[in-house]
This record gives sequence, structure tokens and C-alpha cells, in this order.
Amino acid sequence: MWVWFAKLGSPKWFYELSTKWLPWLVVATVVVIGTATVWALLFLPPDYQQGYTSRILVVHVAVAGTSLAFFPLMAVAGTITLVWKMKLADMVAKNAAALGAWFSFITLATGSIWGSVSWGTWWEWSDSRLVSMLFQFFLLLGVVSLRSALEESDKAAKACALLSIVGCINVVVIKYSVEWWNTLHQPASPVSIESGSANGPEFWIATALMILGVYLFLSLSLILSTRNEILMRERRSLWVQELMSTEK
Amino acid sequence: MDLLNAIQFESWAEFVDMGGYAFNVWAVYGLFAVFLVVNLWFPLLKRKKIIRNLKRARQRQSQDQR
Repeated sequence: MWVWFAKLGSPKWFYELSTKWLPWLVVATVVVIGTATVWALLFLPPDYQQGYTSRILVVHVAVAGTSLAFFPLMAVAGTITLVWKMKLADMVAKNAAALGAWFSFITLATGSIWGSVSWGTWWEWSDSRLVSMLFQFFLLLGVVSLRSALEESDKAAKACALLSIVGCINVVVIKYSVEWWNTLHQPASPVSIESGSANGPEFWIATALMILGVYLFLSLSLILSTRNEILMRERRSLWVQELMSTEK
Repeated sequence: MDLLNAIQFESWAEFVDMGGYAFNVWAVYGLFAVFLVVNLWFPLLKRKKIIRNLKRARQRQSQDQR
């Protein structure tokens, strides 16, 4: 009986802790993304080359940068699953894959919409940054479908954990692609303290704020879907049964 | 008032136009909004469905026991 309790302890602990913190996380996410969006849309001075299309980059850079966190996150969760067989880690990894695919897709779409003006093209197959990000999108879809293809959840957890660890190699490729190969996608402009320069304080502070907001959003979305996963997988446990009797 | 002066646009129409790049700028921010809403709304919808199903299962169980 006590062994059974100990095994369930951790998802229950996560569920109850997140119940307490969720309202604060919602408020923080709305405030930070709201501030960054208003700042970017209303106050950002036009770039001397890009004009108002530089507003796109606040969103693109924040989502793209954050999308690189998914494979490392899934690799860490996967390692915990493989080594300690912690159930919670696998639930996080499972939901991270689908969310990561969304992040990668939005990165590609916003980049494309920006590129159509600044580069004069929507897509370029020979660009290493673009292609490696597309590859990350497909890899994440691969993890999602691998999970649903393997019905036995233990086996699926192991296979996805391995694929996530291997997928980290591609994150390194995405990160350094703009330095290793000099094709279309430019490297990040150096942060400048001079107002009005390519990456001056108006731009990078708005972007930094947006990055923070997008990370908060990532945590919020992932916590919400992990809580669903907990309810599903622990539905026979006493504490979920009791929760259901109080839940509206 | 300094904050109002820092707004880059003189009129509403100018704001919508985004210096001629209305389509690109608004498409990106629209896509971003959809992305945020969908990835919060879907988990919430799913939660409602899970709770409904679990409650129904509970009721069935207690009926069986009677």
C-alpha cells in the first residue's frame, strides 16, 4: 500500500502545487506578453532598413529562440524517465513535443513573412538556418507520431526519450548554422546601447521582454497539458477520485 | 504624456498601415495571437472533457455498487 502511495506521490505533488501557482503564472504571462506586444507595435521606432517590418522580429526572435529549448527539455525529461523511471518526467516530455512543433511552425511562418519583404523570398532551400529549423519541426512531429504509434506507453516513453536526446544535435546545428555557413539568414545583430542603432535598446529590451513572456507562456501551456495527462494516467488513484467529487 | 509622444504613429490609419507593410506585420501578430490562444484553450477544453468523463465513470460505478 505505501509503495503504491510513494509512486503516485510525485504527480499528485505537482498537480497540487501547480493548482496554487497557476493564477499567478496566468497573470505574469498576460502582463509580460501584453506589455511587450504594445511596446513593439506602438513604440518601436522604424528600423532604417526594414521600416516597420522590424516589429515582426520581436515575435520571430522570441518564438524561434524559445523553440530551441524543447529538445534539451525533452532530453532531460527523457533521461530522468530512462534512469529513474519518473512518471511525471515522461508526461512533461510527451506534451512538450506537440507544443514544440507549434513553436517551430510559428518560427518558420513568421520568418517567412518577414523574409518575403527583407529578402524578397518566402523560402530558400539552400539556407542552413531555414532547413535545420524545418528539420526540427519534422523531428518534433516524428516524436509525436512515434508516441501515438507505440501503444505500450513504457516502450513509447523509452523510444521518445532516445529520439529527444539525439534531436539535441540538431539544436546545435540550428544555433550555429548562421556562423558555420554564410547563406541567407543573418546572425543576430550585436546588442547595442546606442539608441537608434540596428539592435538598440528599444529593440532588444522589447525582444527580451517578449522572450520572457514566451517562456512564461511555454510553462503555462505545458503545465496545463501535463495536469490533463496526470488526471488521465492517475484516474484510478484515490486522490483523483476524491478531486472529482469536489470538482464542478 | 511622454509616453503618448513616444507612439510612432500620428493616426489610427497610419498605425494600421504599418508603413505599407500592413499585411506582413498584422499577419505575424495575428498568427502569434492564434498560437497563444490555441495552446491555452485546447488544454482547457481537454480538461473539461476529462473531468466530465471521469465524473460520469464515477457515477456509473456508484450505481453499479447499489
